[in-house]
Amino acid sequence: MQALDKALAQVGSVVLGKPEQLKLALACLLAGGHLLIEDLPGMGKTTLAHALARVFRLDYRRVQFTSDMLPADILGVSLFDPESGQFSLREGPVFSQLLLADEINRATPKTQGALLEAMEERQVTLDGLTRPLPSPFFVVATQNPVTQAGTFVLPESQLDRFLMRISLGYPAPEVELQLLAGGDLREAVRELRPVIEPAGLVKLVAHVGKVRASRDLLDYVQRLLEATRADDRFSAGLSPRAGLGLLRAARAWALIHNRDYVLPEDVQAVWPSVAEHRLQAREGGQVAALTQSLLQTVPVVRA
Amino acid sequence: MARIYQVPSHARGWLTLAIIATSLPQLIDGPWWQSLLLLLVLGWRALVDRQRLLLPGRVVRLALLLATVVATWQSFGRLHGPEAGTALITGLFALKYLELVGKRDAYVLIVLGYFVCATILLFHQGPLAALYVIGCLVLLTASLAGINYSDTHARGRQHLGVAAVMVLQALPLAAILFVLVPRVAPLWNMHLDSGQARTGMSDSMSPGQVSRLTESAELAFRVQFDGPAPPPSQRYWRGLTYGYFDGTTWRQARPPGWDERDTLYDGRGPAPDWYRALRNADQGPAWRYRVIMAPSQQRWLYALAVPFTDLDGLALARDLRLVADAPVTGSLGYRVRSVPAAGAGATLDGAERTLMLGLPEQGNERARALAADWRRRYTDDRALVNAALGYFREQPFFYTLEPPPVAGDTVDRFLFDTRRGFCEHYASSFTFLMRAAGIPARVVAGYQGGESNGDYLQVRQYDAHAWSEVWLAGRWVRVDPTGAVAPDRIELGLRQAMRNRSADQGDGEGAAFGRLPVLFQLQQWADYVDFNWQKWVLGYRQEEQRDLLERLLGAVTPTRIALALLGAVLLVTSLLALLVLNRRRDQPARPLEREFRRLRQALGKRGLGLPEAVSAAGLEAAVARRWPAATAAAGHWRRYFEHLAYREDGDPPRAERLQLARRRRALIRALRG
Repeated sequence: MQALDKALAQVGSVVLGKPEQLKLALACLLAGGHLLIEDLPGMGKTTLAHALARVFRLDYRRVQFTSDMLPADILGVSLFDPESGQFSLREGPVFSQLLLADEINRATPKTQGALLEAMEERQVTLDGLTRPLPSPFFVVATQNPVTQAGTFVLPESQLDRFLMRISLGYPAPEVELQLLAGGDLREAVRELRPVIEPAGLVKLVAHVGKVRASRDLLDYVQRLLEATRADDRFSAGLSPRAGLGLLRAARAWALIHNRDYVLPEDVQAVWPSVAEHRLQAREGGQVAALTQSLLQTVPVVRA
Repeated sequence: MARIYQVPSHARGWLTLAIIATSLPQLIDGPWWQSLLLLLVLGWRALVDRQRLLLPGRVVRLALLLATVVATWQSFGRLHGPEAGTALITGLFALKYLELVGKRDAYVLIVLGYFVCATILLFHQGPLAALYVIGCLVLLTASLAGINYSDTHARGRQHLGVAAVMVLQALPLAAILFVLVPRVAPLWNMHLDSGQARTGMSDSMSPGQVSRLTESAELAFRVQFDGPAPPPSQRYWRGLTYGYFDGTTWRQARPPGWDERDTLYDGRGPAPDWYRALRNADQGPAWRYRVIMAPSQQRWLYALAVPFTDLDGLALARDLRLVADAPVTGSLGYRVRSVPAAGAGATLDGAERTLMLGLPEQGNERARALAADWRRRYTDDRALVNAALGYFREQPFFYTLEPPPVAGDTVDRFLFDTRRGFCEHYASSFTFLMRAAGIPARVVAGYQGGESNGDYLQVRQYDAHAWSEVWLAGRWVRVDPTGAVAPDRIELGLRQAMRNRSADQGDGEGAAFGRLPVLFQLQQWADYVDFNWQKWVLGYRQEEQRDLLERLLGAVTPTRIALALLGAVLLVTSLLALLVLNRRRDQPARPLEREFRRLRQALGKRGLGLPEAVSAAGLEAAVARRWPAATAAAGHWRRYFEHLAYREDGDPPRAERLQLARRRRALIRALRG
């Protein structure tokens, strides 16, 4: 799909040298899921989120989470209007199409919970008033994996609300040179041209569901899920919801690669970003290595 | 310094448990110091593990070893023999645990543990013991699996699973080996000291002896008939005859000057005259049955009259009973054919006749007078016997388990004063009267009756009984004076008779015979299991094996046995293999999966090893790297495979499958090009 390639190229012009991660982020968006980026500060998380918003012309808000934040700071408050004699909702930053929740682990569990619930329900209920969130609605949350002082680590049940977790990592030396030599990235982001309109994006999301997943492919996905459950190096296996997410992400990945059917390679491409944050290794295990190792051991075609 | 391969901590729990479990029977049966030793070792080990103590040095270990040897010597007076040997090996087994440092020690310990397991079976052979030993095997194997599992994060539970599966898989093989491997008669005779006096018949009978037996519900033996069993009133299990009476006690009689060879015939050598006479009368209907005896520590066996058997080591005695060549220390099974009519072949002459008429010089004058009175009135022996039975029936005799004690002329006192007695009183006084009247007679001791449980009879100690045999018209005739006094004892058995009686009289007598129905039922089930265990497992000796193999194989030749053994083992192992393979392939392979596998195998044969989880694209890339010339053909195949597998839904139709197969063959051809 040409438009998608173009969108990727656009975002790639400001987030340099990370084509795989950009594709994953885009796939996450197309699969209608929320994205968690785990990285150190200054690695281009904000730039990525902002650029995505620009190319799809999405209404973009950024919230820096802090420990004194209250749920109302995200969701909004209901105010009494003396003129009409009625309550009205003053919308919080969550009422946007793309919300960047920066350092989500700095907020208290209560505030985190409010956001994560809104993400799941795609609506906000305050004082009995229920308001749907805009469509499309994406949350890109970031988390700093190193400094844990004064943070509230997201519990596993909450991590499950994010379809994918990715990290950008340091740029390669030549990319970094290019970065250093280049101009102001902020400026560049603002100059990005929209490639796909929000309405087009909604259509694409709907289209992802129609990408064909054959019986053989579903078998493979099931074997992968089963493997996480049978392997006692993990404390628990993947849930059926995670399985549905995996399939949806793989479909989006296939769509990005201009195919209307899913290949096992699509599943493998999204596998680490979908599975890793949902799994926990028993003591001493490296969850990333274990998750990856399943791709080497689970037969793609049953022998 | 050589590297020490540590025993992983996740295996240590199983090892400790296995040591405790395998030693436990010996701790219960053996001397007290063994428990102390094991506790000391376990405690020491626990402190070492908490780093409070070091493992003992050479001196301490040597001292402990010496102490164990000395203690064994103290307890048994020797170091060899089953009991002492088992005590010693169990002690050393515990001590070895104190030496455990590396994997090598653990191997030694576990192998020793298997050996200790085997020693358990020396002393306990019941079905529960077998289950217990299997449990110990699982624990030992779990430790073995554990020490070989190097992953430090392994969990102990999985070792138990592995071990249980291994032991379960081994069981069918064990069963085959049990049935087919030729059984060798024991090379040495193990005389195990069971240490407890068995209740049962003894070689003499004095008043009160049999009634003591009736307090015990212990099993004496079990019988399984081929076909229907005789009615209860015909079930007289003869064990001993008492021919000599000294005024109070009846004993086995042996005519002076006869040695054992004259009274026993075990089928070896020329048959004596009395045996040939019996054989000549061997005709008419016979009872065929199998007896499984509980250990009695005595040589005599129980059977209906006149018993014939062809089991080695069993002999027929001249007084028509079976005798083993050694005391019955373990459970013993033997087949018997009893021919009632063969009794006509019995002989009684000379010294033996004198013996069967013998009475003390004096004493019991009233009984002698009564006998003399009968003799005057009846010239016919049979009429005299009937008169004596009528006397017991008509005079106020009572049958009771708790007769008043009598002293002095026991026969007189019983016959004329107390008139309350048990079978031994009746048998003893009846036999006395007969002899006094000039009719050869003897007391027979054994069991009478037996309860039916399923397809076999249980005969318990409380079925112990004594009766008389009198010589009438050239043969021994059974006469049971107890039957004249208490017919229900003979018809229904002691238990039922006593129950009826206590219901009638409402007194506490016989309360021991009434049991809770549920408990009784459970007991009967347990006995049923035990009986079949005795019959099929413990009773599976050389003769039984020969019979079974003859039925299975036609003829027992070494070649046939070897072939059967090989065939059966192969069958079981292939069944197990199928089971294991099937678990991996729970659904049948689908056409595309088969196609993929064929290509993979073809590539494998040409030396291309592919990872287990290879995909179609991965396969294509690997082929292209190895055989660049086949790149196009590989791509051709891969695209079509992906098309069929992932683009189309459902199994592809035949035409497309053939197309894919053609592309596969084209790819293989391209490899050669």
